[in-house]
Amino acid sequence: MSLKKLNERVSAARKETEARGETFYPGPSRIHLAAFPPKERWDDWVELDSRAWPRREERRYMLVPTTCFNCESACGLLAYVDRESLQVQKFEGNPEHPGSRGRNCAKGPATLNQITDPDRILFPLKRAGRRGEGKWVQTTWDEALDHIAARIRKAITEDRHNEVMYHVGRPGEDGFTERVLAAWGVDGHNSHTNVCSSSARAGYQYWMGLDRPSPDHANARVIFLISSHLETGHYFNPHAQRIIEAKAEGAKIIVFDTRLSNTATHADFWVAPQPGSEAAIVLSIANYLIQHDLYNREFVRRWWNWEEFLAVEQPETETTFENFELSLKKLYADYTFEFAAAESGVEATVIEEIAKVVATAGTRFSSHNWRSAAAGNSGGWQVARTLFFLNTLLGAVATEGGVYPNAWNKFVPKPIHVPGHPHTWNELTWAREYPLAMNELSFLLPHFLKDGRGKLDTYFTRVYNPVWTNPDGFSWVEMLTDESLIGCYVALTPTWNETSYFADYILPMGHGSERHDIHSYETHDAQWLGFRQPVLREARERMGEKIGSTRDVNPGEVWEVNEFWLELTWRIDPDGSLGIRSFAESKERPGERLTVDEYYGYIFENSVPGLPERAAEENLTPLEFMRRYGAFEIKKKIGAVYEELVPEEELEDVRVDRFGRAYSRAAKPASPNVVPIPTIDPDAEGRRFVGVQVDAEIRRGFPTPSGRLEFYSKTLADWGWHEYAVPTYIRSHVHPANMADDQTVLISTFRLPVQIHTRSANAKWLDEIAHTNPLWMHNSHAARLGVRTGDLVRVETETGYFVVRAWVTEGIKPGVVACSHHMGRWKLSEAGQRQMMATVKLDHEGTQWGLRRERGAQPYESNDADTQRIWWTDVGVHQNLTFPVHPDPISGQHCWHQAVRVRRAEAGDRYGDISVDTAKSREVYLKWLAMTRPADEFSPDGTRRPYWLLRPLKPSREVYRLPEQPEPVGAD
Amino acid sequence: MELFRALACLVEPPRTESARVADALGLGALPLADEYTKTFVFQLYPYASVYLGAEGMLGGEARDRVAGFWRALGLVPPAEADHLSVMLALYARLCELEEDANDARAREGWRAARKAFLWEHLLSWLPAYLSKLEEIATDFYRRWGALLKDALAAEALTVGQQESLALHLREAPGLVDPREGSTEDFLRSLLAPARSGIILVRADFSRAARELDAGTRLGERRFVLQTLFEQDARGVLSWLGQEAERWAARLRLERASFGAVARAWEAKAESTSRLLAELKATLEEDSRAGEEFADA
Repeated sequence: MSLKKLNERVSAARKETEARGETFYPGPSRIHLAAFPPKERWDDWVELDSRAWPRREERRYMLVPTTCFNCESACGLLAYVDRESLQVQKFEGNPEHPGSRGRNCAKGPATLNQITDPDRILFPLKRAGRRGEGKWVQTTWDEALDHIAARIRKAITEDRHNEVMYHVGRPGEDGFTERVLAAWGVDGHNSHTNVCSSSARAGYQYWMGLDRPSPDHANARVIFLISSHLETGHYFNPHAQRIIEAKAEGAKIIVFDTRLSNTATHADFWVAPQPGSEAAIVLSIANYLIQHDLYNREFVRRWWNWEEFLAVEQPETETTFENFELSLKKLYADYTFEFAAAESGVEATVIEEIAKVVATAGTRFSSHNWRSAAAGNSGGWQVARTLFFLNTLLGAVATEGGVYPNAWNKFVPKPIHVPGHPHTWNELTWAREYPLAMNELSFLLPHFLKDGRGKLDTYFTRVYNPVWTNPDGFSWVEMLTDESLIGCYVALTPTWNETSYFADYILPMGHGSERHDIHSYETHDAQWLGFRQPVLREARERMGEKIGSTRDVNPGEVWEVNEFWLELTWRIDPDGSLGIRSFAESKERPGERLTVDEYYGYIFENSVPGLPERAAEENLTPLEFMRRYGAFEIKKKIGAVYEELVPEEELEDVRVDRFGRAYSRAAKPASPNVVPIPTIDPDAEGRRFVGVQVDAEIRRGFPTPSGRLEFYSKTLADWGWHEYAVPTYIRSHVHPANMADDQTVLISTFRLPVQIHTRSANAKWLDEIAHTNPLWMHNSHAARLGVRTGDLVRVETETGYFVVRAWVTEGIKPGVVACSHHMGRWKLSEAGQRQMMATVKLDHEGTQWGLRRERGAQPYESNDADTQRIWWTDVGVHQNLTFPVHPDPISGQHCWHQAVRVRRAEAGDRYGDISVDTAKSREVYLKWLAMTRPADEFSPDGTRRPYWLLRPLKPSREVYRLPEQPEPVGAD
Repeated sequence: MELFRALACLVEPPRTESARVADALGLGALPLADEYTKTFVFQLYPYASVYLGAEGMLGGEARDRVAGFWRALGLVPPAEADHLSVMLALYARLCELEEDANDARAREGWRAARKAFLWEHLLSWLPAYLSKLEEIATDFYRRWGALLKDALAAEALTVGQQESLALHLREAPGLVDPREGSTEDFLRSLLAPARSGIILVRADFSRAARELDAGTRLGERRFVLQTLFEQDARGVLSWLGQEAERWAARLRLERASFGAVARAWEAKAESTSRLLAELKATLEEDSRAGEEFADA
């Protein structure tokens, strides 16, 4: 056959195969890193059994997608469900997922360890002895549901709404539980965010109204990371692969990290500044751009709220852009490279070199800060704010290679029921002292209760382990063991944790492959929706079974939270008289409880543009499509939404004020995307804020009070923080000037790439890789103390001390010490995770607490032969117990860095020892409380909080008003 | 051009889907994965850099050169830009871009890119590579190689002869003369086809050991060659000399289809053969001198 004919024959074969929806060319593995099973063979995929080697034994699998739950990134997973045993054999990446594109980090495949963990909790448990005594009896779901529902019903009917609280760490869902709480009419949402990302959120929100960056790393020319983002953090796997793509294309990477992390090793510029000085360096770079006219002038003129700044701050100056530029130059003139060098210890010439690289980025400048320096320092929110300042100077906002506001790259589909806002304000989460807190003051709960600000009737935790995670864990133990403060504590958890030991009920909920959720995250400039599902439920339904409840397919009596909340809601209001039941009711079958199939089926059918059509192409319903592929990309390349012209139909009886804010009488068009966006106040005549006028045209703008990027935050100025109304540098609580000469900074928040907060003690592969947290210490520092690697040292905080082993390394800034997160897990008895928790004894007298390790990890017999192969005993040290609370007076973020004294351990000190005085914790709490500017005193309008600021569960507007007679607050 | 894409897909480990492609090409049933491994993982590494780089190893400047071609086209190069499957797939794409171009100018531009890629990055090594494949492969891959060679020859005719030999072929350094450098460097340069003009795979050394009645030791090719050399330097030089001559003769057959490229490879092999003959002579002379010295 001639070559021409052969060519035609191949083309025809390809066309014919692809027309059948099948794969002709398997993805070349050299292009896509890994080759994936073609979609058409997901129902019956054959692989050789590796354990049978050298025999060639075939195993047949059904590949069922779900979403990883081992960090927030929500990467796609494919479960390989054995068709014979109907058990999951392994998890790999889902190539259909637009965020992770088939790739995963170590934590994804380790989901297998979590579902087969021999120590997992399989049945609902009820406390038998005293709280914390460690005695449990198995109970039934019915008993637990009825008991809890009755308590909540009583609290609601007795108008004790604020005594019901749900406290969540990693939500892993988009607003499901917030809506449950709204349905109950309680303002009971509490999150972990103030020990996590509130600070960075504040920095971003004051600029653009939205509290999270969405960097388009893949297309950037310069990437600026203040974190170890290439290896940890959110959304590190989707981001890391895109950062590396950009690097391969010649992008320059700048990393600020006190440690020589794996991220730092990939950087073109690695800078290890004095912790807390990051904003000073960034401002010196901003100043360089400003003084040398290297900023994007047109962008700044069009999109900054400079007119408002001049009008309010310099009313005597004529409002021209040229005058603003002069002011700008003056404002930042003192942030020289030399100033930054003096603050940070980084050489001025290095900073200058970096500034010059930043200046070359143009609008392809992607930057990212999420925790790291922002979460470590008081005033750390200025780190994110100053970093984004560079984007706004370069015009790299929602541009290719720039940074987008998250909400534009995210899709939250409208659900079947949307309850209204609760008519109550919970001061246990949103205290008056912190009117600008980005999130609930969650980690202050024990102190607020001790203050006498209230009590809790029913308290839920989910994916949250405050005794271990939060600072000041012993104050949490004191709170949890006091039944007059917490009436009933329900831990919703698949696995034991330090907080669950003090619960009244432990209700086991499924892992990532055993539950339903939907997600959408801003991993790049697109909008996608990911679906988490119980993979065995889907597998069995594909085999023809009808599954009524996820409980029927999960191991033991493990349930999932979606179905649990719907059932609990139903039982709180069984006859519907409270008006609550309707939110858990089927629309298809009135009078019956909503099922997860109907809940998600409705969303995929009605609220996800393009999904029904896409599903129809494969003769599937939208729900079937999502169950089959696990993800759907709604839109690519969203672009600069702020530049979009507001369409005619939204402009009716328009008024434009002196700063260009445009208001319209036209109603807001309905949107299926209900992603949280700030609500900006209407004008005095009730017109809706619709956009901003820029050069005579009305454009969408930003969801900020000015409609523009807020270089100047009138909100901050009005609420008592005038000195911080523009991006500036705040000296940290661990600034050398705020520490004694013999103190040093402890960095306690960095993560290990293979661990999952406190949720990986049940993942044997991960535990084997990383199971301890020595204290990083520079050689010069160690020499001064006479310490060598492996020696015990005592680290003294404001409230106590911990004993840990030193690890001497050149990979850290001299004079700073660091100890990683995740480690030092403990249990009080055999109940617990035996792979990764030490058995400890707690000593308690008055306010004095001690923790001493009795036994480390050791091999044990179980249904998993690997538990006999545990070779490590060391599981690290629980340093967080020794940290007092440090709430930033503005963002509300716990400022993690600690000023500590490090010295050689004393005779009698043992590895892992902890000693804390909670009376001292209390003093530190009161000291930081005194730094606040409470709403009672500083509110400009008699409200508790600026209405436009985001709040996870927003109550109705009338409860924003402060009570006429100030209620007594505070401890004194 | 679909043909090249289909050929590209078969220089990856065989998978169920590849059977359809092999069938469309009329190549018959797919071999088992171990045959792929034997051919491409243990013997003839399908990477341009191995045959065009001065080190004769994976990656380095030779790979960067291929990656640079992707970049020049405004494409992001894959991690292994010089893998044959990726290169053939790119060539297929270039043909399509030329075909689909809207105007004559764009078409000319894509034609120029296609021609440059063909001569500089594919034909600069594939005639020699495929010739070796024909020698060592079993049926399926021999048929595959023959088809690829035919297709490449047809392409060479279609796009026309190149104006000048690729720079990296013209400027490739020659062998290291062990009388000037070290023996180790000499052996290493022998294993770099860009310098020696000959391709020596593991199977060749097993054959050499059999023919010389020497022992082989397990290890990388340089190590194997070195241990052979230590056992019987004269024999190995002689064996290599014959191999170089035989190889030059094989390359002569490619002249008709691949012109100057084949001649450049042939010339290198001939010069290797000459050097080996000289070395053998020197060695014999030295050893005679040694014997005379001993006699005295």
